[in-house]
Amino acid sequence: MIEALFARYNYVVFALLLGIGLYIVIDDENLVKKVIGLNVFQTGIFLFFITVAVQDGAEPAVTSTGEGTFVNPLPHVLILTAIVVGVSLTALALALVVRIHEEYGSIREDVVVEVLERD
Amino acid sequence: MITPIEAGLLVFIVATAVMTALLRDVLAAIIVFGGYSLGMAILWIVLQAPDVGLTEAAVGAGVMTVLFLATIARTTRLTGLEATTVDVNLPAAALCVVFVLAVLTTVPALPAVGAGPGENPAFGEISEYYVEEAYDDTHVENVVTAVLVAYRGFDTFGEATVVFAAGVGVLAVLRRGVFE
Repeated sequence: MIEALFARYNYVVFALLLGIGLYIVIDDENLVKKVIGLNVFQTGIFLFFITVAVQDGAEPAVTSTGEGTFVNPLPHVLILTAIVVGVSLTALALALVVRIHEEYGSIREDVVVEVLERD
Repeated sequence: MITPIEAGLLVFIVATAVMTALLRDVLAAIIVFGGYSLGMAILWIVLQAPDVGLTEAAVGAGVMTVLFLATIARTTRLTGLEATTVDVNLPAAALCVVFVLAVLTTVPALPAVGAGPGENPAFGEISEYYVEEAYDDTHVENVVTAVLVAYRGFDTFGEATVVFAAGVGVLAVLRRGVFE
């Protein structure tokens, strides 16, 4: 079991990053840090995809003949798209945080809930 | 087999992620998260994914950090950096540990890192086809670019639509410009 995990070290880090990201999202009261937590979770999944594409002794897939050993280019394409979409979502989430601050005067979840209960 | 540079990067990434989780001061957390993104970008280069590495460095470490800083500049009164940590919420931490263990039980079923065609189901006819035919079909040597802008051009158009929609969403939420 331990040996199997050691040969799959990147996937172990993937699992750890998902756990850390999830912890920030569910525990931290600061909304900006919650968004950071989402990003940590997301980059953990990127690590999974990029690791799947790796091959020992391979080069990046830049070729005109198709001869040689190359890493798998398809997961790279998916992750490139995912990074850009991730930034768009982060921008929208942060805009909502700014609006919440305008409305409730705080970016802390507990304070926002308090204000909501008082009104 | 794991190389020292990979091991160092992975330790750096996990350490910065944990620090991001524990730092109470949001500005300090953003700075550490910038370091985390940079470590990730270098890891992509080491894992032979230069296109992803460049995008992560420009967008992940660059644009993202600016977005976070712009947000806290408008919402948080900054009093200087503090290195205090948050108290660990034990039930939440226990839940996350259980989650990590559950994910780890699936890890031995995955191919080992670096396994090539035959042992790794991610390699198959389809990725071979792209590597072999991309240059003849599109006259682009970089297969990642060929797939992104030629074979999956419509998908990239969809991605641009998402970015546009997010931009419109940000303007609408902040009530700027035409939405005033």
